[in-house]
Amino acid sequence: MLKADNIVSIRQYYLAVFITILLITVLAVRFFQLQVLDYDQYSKKANSNRIRKVTTSAPRGLILDRNGQILVDNLPTYILNAVPGELTNKAQTLRLISKLVNYDSLALSKSYGRYYRGRFIPTRIAKDLTFDQISRLEENRLNLEGVYYQIFPERYFPSVVNASHILGYVREVDKGIRQSLDNPTHYELGDIIGWSGLEKKYENYLKGKHGIQFYQVDAYGREAGYVSDFPPRDPEPGRNIITTIDIDIQYSLENIMEGKKGVILIGSPETGEILGAVSKPDFRPDLFTGRILADDWNDLLLDPSKPLVNRFNQGLYPPGSIVKMITGAVLLDHQDFDPHLTQDCAGAYQFGDRVFGCWLDQGHGKVDLTSAIIQSCDVYFYKTIHYYDLDKLSKYFRKFGFGALTDVDIEGESKGIVPTTDYMNKRYGRFGWSTGALLNFSIGQGEILVTPMQVLNYTNILASRGINYKPHFVISEILSKNKDPLLPSEDWDRITFDMKQVVMHPKGTGKSANPLVNGAHVYGKTGTAENPHGEDHAWFIGWMDYLENKYSIVVLLENAGSGGAIAAPIARQVFNDIINLNSLVAK
Amino acid sequence: MIGYRSVEYKEFPLSIIVIATILSFIGLVVLNSISQGEYAGFINSPFNKQFVFLIPAVCISLIILLIPRYTIHKYSYPLYVIGIVMVLLPFSGSAHAGTYRWFNVPGIGFAVQPSEFSKVFTVLFLARYLSDHTLQMKQFTSIIIPIALVMVPTMIVMNQPDLGTAIVMMTPVLPMLYWSGAKPFYLFLIIAPVFSMLTAFQTLSFTIWAIILGGVILFSRPTLLMSILLFFGNIFLGLLSPYAWNSLTTYQQNRITTFLNPEKDPLGAAYQIIQSKTAIGSGGLFGKGWGEGTQTHLKFLPVQESDFILSVIGEEMGFSMIVIVLTLVAYFIIQIIKRSFLSKDRFSSLALIGIASILLAHVFVNTAMTVGLIPVKGLPFPFISAGGSFLMTSYLMVGLVLKLSVNYTD
Repeated sequence: MLKADNIVSIRQYYLAVFITILLITVLAVRFFQLQVLDYDQYSKKANSNRIRKVTTSAPRGLILDRNGQILVDNLPTYILNAVPGELTNKAQTLRLISKLVNYDSLALSKSYGRYYRGRFIPTRIAKDLTFDQISRLEENRLNLEGVYYQIFPERYFPSVVNASHILGYVREVDKGIRQSLDNPTHYELGDIIGWSGLEKKYENYLKGKHGIQFYQVDAYGREAGYVSDFPPRDPEPGRNIITTIDIDIQYSLENIMEGKKGVILIGSPETGEILGAVSKPDFRPDLFTGRILADDWNDLLLDPSKPLVNRFNQGLYPPGSIVKMITGAVLLDHQDFDPHLTQDCAGAYQFGDRVFGCWLDQGHGKVDLTSAIIQSCDVYFYKTIHYYDLDKLSKYFRKFGFGALTDVDIEGESKGIVPTTDYMNKRYGRFGWSTGALLNFSIGQGEILVTPMQVLNYTNILASRGINYKPHFVISEILSKNKDPLLPSEDWDRITFDMKQVVMHPKGTGKSANPLVNGAHVYGKTGTAENPHGEDHAWFIGWMDYLENKYSIVVLLENAGSGGAIAAPIARQVFNDIINLNSLVAK
Repeated sequence: MIGYRSVEYKEFPLSIIVIATILSFIGLVVLNSISQGEYAGFINSPFNKQFVFLIPAVCISLIILLIPRYTIHKYSYPLYVIGIVMVLLPFSGSAHAGTYRWFNVPGIGFAVQPSEFSKVFTVLFLARYLSDHTLQMKQFTSIIIPIALVMVPTMIVMNQPDLGTAIVMMTPVLPMLYWSGAKPFYLFLIIAPVFSMLTAFQTLSFTIWAIILGGVILFSRPTLLMSILLFFGNIFLGLLSPYAWNSLTTYQQNRITTFLNPEKDPLGAAYQIIQSKTAIGSGGLFGKGWGEGTQTHLKFLPVQESDFILSVIGEEMGFSMIVIVLTLVAYFIIQIIKRSFLSKDRFSSLALIGIASILLAHVFVNTAMTVGLIPVKGLPFPFISAGGSFLMTSYLMVGLVLKLSVNYTD
């Protein structure tokens, strides 16, 4: 194959070499002309070619409540930048600045190190300067070659509410954060970026677009006007978002929960909008603006009551009796089940070799389904649930949104646990558990764990008889529909009736939730969730019909006692506040 | 001593490896200066990217070294077809910045530029074709067929559109035809129309060209009829070309017009040339120092990591480093030409001269562009410019040179 001989003559070879050398020589001569002969001309040109690119930060969008009141605003502050290549004596300059603005010079050089990205890129050395401090720097302009100030919009919280777990907080983009981003070019070091809550979820709306200006700089580094070839691009502020939060309701919730540990959620069951949400203990959101002090941050992190944890989204709790409406629906699904047939409650129920107690030691006597819900009798459900297996119950719990994310627009949601046969087998082994687990499950105890947000979702489903939308914090034209458990109409009637009786009936566990105001109809269910970490968690869920409006409520108090005694009165307080607010608006 | 081809040439071309290594190293040094803290994310920094791509690139040349020469010879026709399929692939995807040069390799997550590889395949194909069809090269018609075959991938690349790569793809044809014995006059006939069209836009250049054309025709003494046809055919073509001009895309037109009159459009392609010349000129004899180039770091210099990387060298390391780089590159190319001349079989000889011309085309077009001698063409400088596809292609060529320039009896 390779038999054909090479026939290239030495003349051809020399010609090829000659052409190569000729072409390369032409290039070399051209370089000689540019770099040696015309050096002065181009050197001058390069020196006048000093244009500084300055990026100005765009203000983030505002976060408003449902009535347009500002929850999160921007406050203009000043930042100080230095262009490393223009600093003749860095240490001396930093010392002078530190003397003028009264900042620790160590902090300045630390900041310089953190933001340094290259000799020609403005590097931040201080932030949150006042106009006063800037004036003092301006007086010493000539000694501060290479140092420039800029306006920088900082997050600011003008409202009376904290709403810290809803709004979330922002962080300053540092090298590590910038490298972890999908779109690093959209952020400069020192920019702020939403790090939790709505600030994070709606980052792309809230974030503005940098402005870019090109300044011609003279030999002293002074800005001598814009460069005509590069028109400046003004910063584009981020878009505002309107939340579903009602600032007055939120304020009332935060006051009621002051000093307590737990969650209150107020929603609008038909739309899924969340009017107020508080997870206590919380923190002041402005702790995260400005130079967050390492001490403050550590205090928050190490606080045993975990103020940084968003309890309504991340907290996992046993639901207790608040889920008995689901168990009721499962029972009604069976054709042999008669809701009017009474069971005898003697305060405890022997199943196999175990005794399952009712919360009322002396027992409830003869109870049917309605009175079992009203008085929250446990034994009634132990005795009736035999018809079913665990998976049937799980299926119904899932229909009501448990064991799945609610898709609420704040990240970090927990999924919770709805035990199934598979789950129990995996956890305890094939023979490691018995039907006793089913009995526990039927009254919301045992393996099942839920988040308060899932409970709000469940309450919304109950209040709207299945026609409802996913819970959310930002007002949106397009609502995403929730799964409808599709119960028969008479089941919904029964649930509504029973839940009303929980509040109205003299024996009802939730009667202290009744605001006793004309025109306010309250429906509810209490829960007292036993848990291995101490005192019971107190639950109250329900809704209030008042003046054409429906308000759903979830109250959870960690380790506080029984739902009827602790959570229900708090619900009444909330209902009263809402009624008062409504009459204020009416006036 | 070069004249004794009969001497078995067994020496391994060490200088090829050494120069490729030095140039790659210089490239990394320059890219590291550009990359200083400028890019977020490990792989977004041109330095890191180039460093990572060096690994597959060197592997490619090692793999080539393991393949027997007859296998390369045997598969050069299929490779030609593969090359054509490859340059068609980008059209199946979506356009990158209005062009179809890049193909997103599924599963790898980055894009390659198939035309880079395809031009080497075309050279191998042409080497095979010309070594199989021996000694009829004295006829004009036998020149046409290989040119037509190379035109196939070239036209596809032209439509991507990628004028620079299309030019580089066509470049090896002339030296390879010359190498296989085609009459220089015929080769002149082929390129004459191109010059007629290019020079037609300026009276002076067209006059000079007409004189050269007439001189060559007189010197080669074809028949009278042939001479008249040739001369006036070319002049006529030149006069027609302004009309052909209107059929070019505005992007191609822009590049040519800004070349002819750089001051006209200070922010477009001419702006790039002005900034590049400023950067180079202000570097002086020894440059401003590594990482100190104001034009580079203040971002006056466009596409500095690939097309204008020589301007960065010029600015930061000065004329002295430019001379070193150009000398190394010239020595590198001349070495390949020498190996081509010394090679015993024609296939290797043709493939080597083809590779040498690809490299020379890249070096000349890229450098001439950065110093404002020719219009802006997006072509990288071998081994130094950032760019994974071309880096791998360069090392593919290094592998081929190492393989084909040693006369083993395999």
